Amino acid sequence: MMSSSLAILPIVIPLTAAAAALLLRRNFRLQAAWAFGAMLTALAASAYLLWTVWSTGRPVIYQMGQWPAPFGITIAADLLSATMGAMVQLVFAFGFIYALGAKDKAVRHPTFYPLFLCLVAGLTGGMLTGDIFNLFVMVELIVISGTVLTAMSDDRYGPEAAYKYFLISTVASFSLLFGIGCLYISYGTLNMADLAARIAADQAPALLPAAIVFLAVTFMIKSAVVPFHFWQPDFHTASPTPVSAMLSSVVVKIGVYGFLRMTTLLTPHADWLRALLVALGIVGIVFGGLGAAGTHNAKRMFAYSTLAQIGFIHVGVGWGTPLSLTAAIVFTFNHALIKSTLLMLSGYLASRAPVKTASFSVLRGTGKYAPLAGVLFFVGGMALAGIPPTNGFISKLTLFESGVQAARSGSVNGTLAYWAPLLLLGVSSIITLVYVFRALMKIWWEPFKPDAPEAKVKPSGDSLLAPSLMIAACIALGIWAQPLLQLAQDASEWIRQPQAYVQAVLGERTGRLK
Amino acid sequence: MEIIKAISIGALFGIGLYQLLRRNVIRSAIGLSIISNAVNLFLLSIGAYDGVVKAYAKAIGQRSDALPQALILTAIVISLGGFAFVLALLYVIAARYRTGDSDEVKGLSH
Repeated sequence: MMSSSLAILPIVIPLTAAAAALLLRRNFRLQAAWAFGAMLTALAASAYLLWTVWSTGRPVIYQMGQWPAPFGITIAADLLSATMGAMVQLVFAFGFIYALGAKDKAVRHPTFYPLFLCLVAGLTGGMLTGDIFNLFVMVELIVISGTVLTAMSDDRYGPEAAYKYFLISTVASFSLLFGIGCLYISYGTLNMADLAARIAADQAPALLPAAIVFLAVTFMIKSAVVPFHFWQPDFHTASPTPVSAMLSSVVVKIGVYGFLRMTTLLTPHADWLRALLVALGIVGIVFGGLGAAGTHNAKRMFAYSTLAQIGFIHVGVGWGTPLSLTAAIVFTFNHALIKSTLLMLSGYLASRAPVKTASFSVLRGTGKYAPLAGVLFFVGGMALAGIPPTNGFISKLTLFESGVQAARSGSVNGTLAYWAPLLLLGVSSIITLVYVFRALMKIWWEPFKPDAPEAKVKPSGDSLLAPSLMIAACIALGIWAQPLLQLAQDASEWIRQPQAYVQAVLGERTGRLK
Repeated sequence: MEIIKAISIGALFGIGLYQLLRRNVIRSAIGLSIISNAVNLFLLSIGAYDGVVKAYAKAIGQRSDALPQALILTAIVISLGGFAFVLALLYVIAARYRTGDSDEVKGLSH
C-alpha cells in the first residue's frame, strides 16, 4: 500500500480553483486563464497519478484526515479509477479549449468556469473515491453543476432540459441513498473495500438484493440505459456546446464506472445483474441506433447514438470475461473522445448557422462554408461507426474478439447472449454509417436555401482547435493502440482481483473482520 | 415503534412518488422534497442496525450510532440547495412557457 496525497490532487485542484475563480469574476480573461491553468494542472496531476499507479503496480490510497480505513473517507486510486480519472480530465481539458474559443453567451457568464471546474471535480471524485457515501456527494456535485450549466444555456429550452434532468437525477440520488442505507443496515460500513470484504463473507442479509437494485437503478439512470434514458437527448441537446460535449461523453461514464465496480468489487456474486446489463445493453444498441437515425437535430442525433454506444459498453461489462472487461474500458475511453468531438463539431456548425441551433432544417447546406469541419465530421463519423484506422475500430474489434472467444470456449451457458450482440455490432455499425451520412448529406451536399432569403452563414464561429486535436488523437489511438489496450488489460486484471483492492485499502485490518 | 416508522416511511415515499408523477411542475418539485424526507427518515432508522443501539437512545449511558445522523445532515443540506434551485428554475419555466402543466412544457420534444 502506498499512502499519498497524490490521490486527492485531481479532485482538490479543480475544487479550490473553482472557489478562487469566483473571486476573479470581475475580470473574465483572467478567470478563464486561471480556470484553464487549473484544469491543466489537474490533468497533469491525474496523469502522474495514473503513471504512478501503473508503473509501481500498487494502488495509491489516501486516508482523509489520517483516519484509518473503514472509519474515515478513503480516496483509493487503483488502475481502473486512475484510468477513468485521467480520461475524464483529458476530455475536460479539450472541453476547456473549446469553451475558450466558443462564442456562446453562456460561456462568458462569470459562473461558467467555476461550475465547469466543479463538474470535473465531482466526476473525478466519484471515480476516485473509495467511500460509497462520498460517491453520493460527488454525484450530487455533478448533478447540481450540470443542471446549472444547462439552465444558463443560450438555447431557450435550457431551463426545461435542466428541470427534466434535475428531476430524474434527484430520483437517482435518492435511490443511491436508499441503497447506501440498505448496505449500512446490513454491514455497518460505508467503505467500499470493507463492504466488498463483508459482502463476500456473508450474503445472507435480507436487504442486500434491495441494495443491489437501488444501486443498479442509480447507475442506470446515470448512464442513460434504455428504460431510464428519456432525459438524456433533451438534456444533451439544450446545454451549451462545451458542456453537452462533456455530458454525453464522460458524465454518463460515472454509471459505467459504477457498474464496473459493482460487478467486480461490491457484488460480484449477482449474476442476474450481469445478465440484465447484457439484455439492456442489447435493447440500448437497437433503440439508440434507430433513435439516432430518426432525429432532426445533429446534437440530438449524437445524444441518441450515445445510448447505443453505452449499450455496447454495458454488454462488455455484463459478459465479465477478462477480455470483455478490457474491451469495455477501451470502448469507454474511445467513445469519450469520439462523442465529445462530434458534439463539438455540431456545436460549431450551430454557431455558424443563421439561427443558433443544430437543427438540420437550419443547418442544411451550411457545410459549404465549413470545409474543415466537414473533414473532421467525416473522420469522427467513421470513428463512431468503427471503421479503421480510427480508435472506434479498435474498441469494436476488442469487444468482438472477446465475444467470439467467450462463445467459442463455451464456458458460459447461453451462447445466444454472445452471438446476438456480435450480430448487432455489425448492424449497429451500418446504422451508424446511415445516420452519419444522412447528416453529412444534409449539411454538406444539399444546397444552402434558407427560409428567409437574407439569412447568411456567419463568417466565423467557435474555434475548431479542440475538435481538430481530438480527431488527431482518435486517429493516433487507432494506429498506435497498443498502450491503451495494455492499460485496459492491466486495469481489467486488477479489478478481477478484488482481494488486492481490499487489502490495499484496509491494510492489515483485513485479518480481523467482525 | 418499528412498524410505525416503517409505515410512515412507506407512506411518505408513496405520497412523494405520487406527487412527483403529477402534471403540475410545482407538485412534482414538492414530491421530490417529500421523497427526500422519506429517505432521511429511513437513514435515521438505520442507526439501529445492530438492534442494540438506537438512533434515539432511551436510557442514560446508551449511545446511538452517530453516522446515519451525519449522513442525514449531508443529505438535508444537499437537497435544500437542490430544492431552492429547482424552485428558481420553475419560476423561469413558468415565466417562459406561461403554464405550470408539464405536458405543455415540451419545447424539446423533437
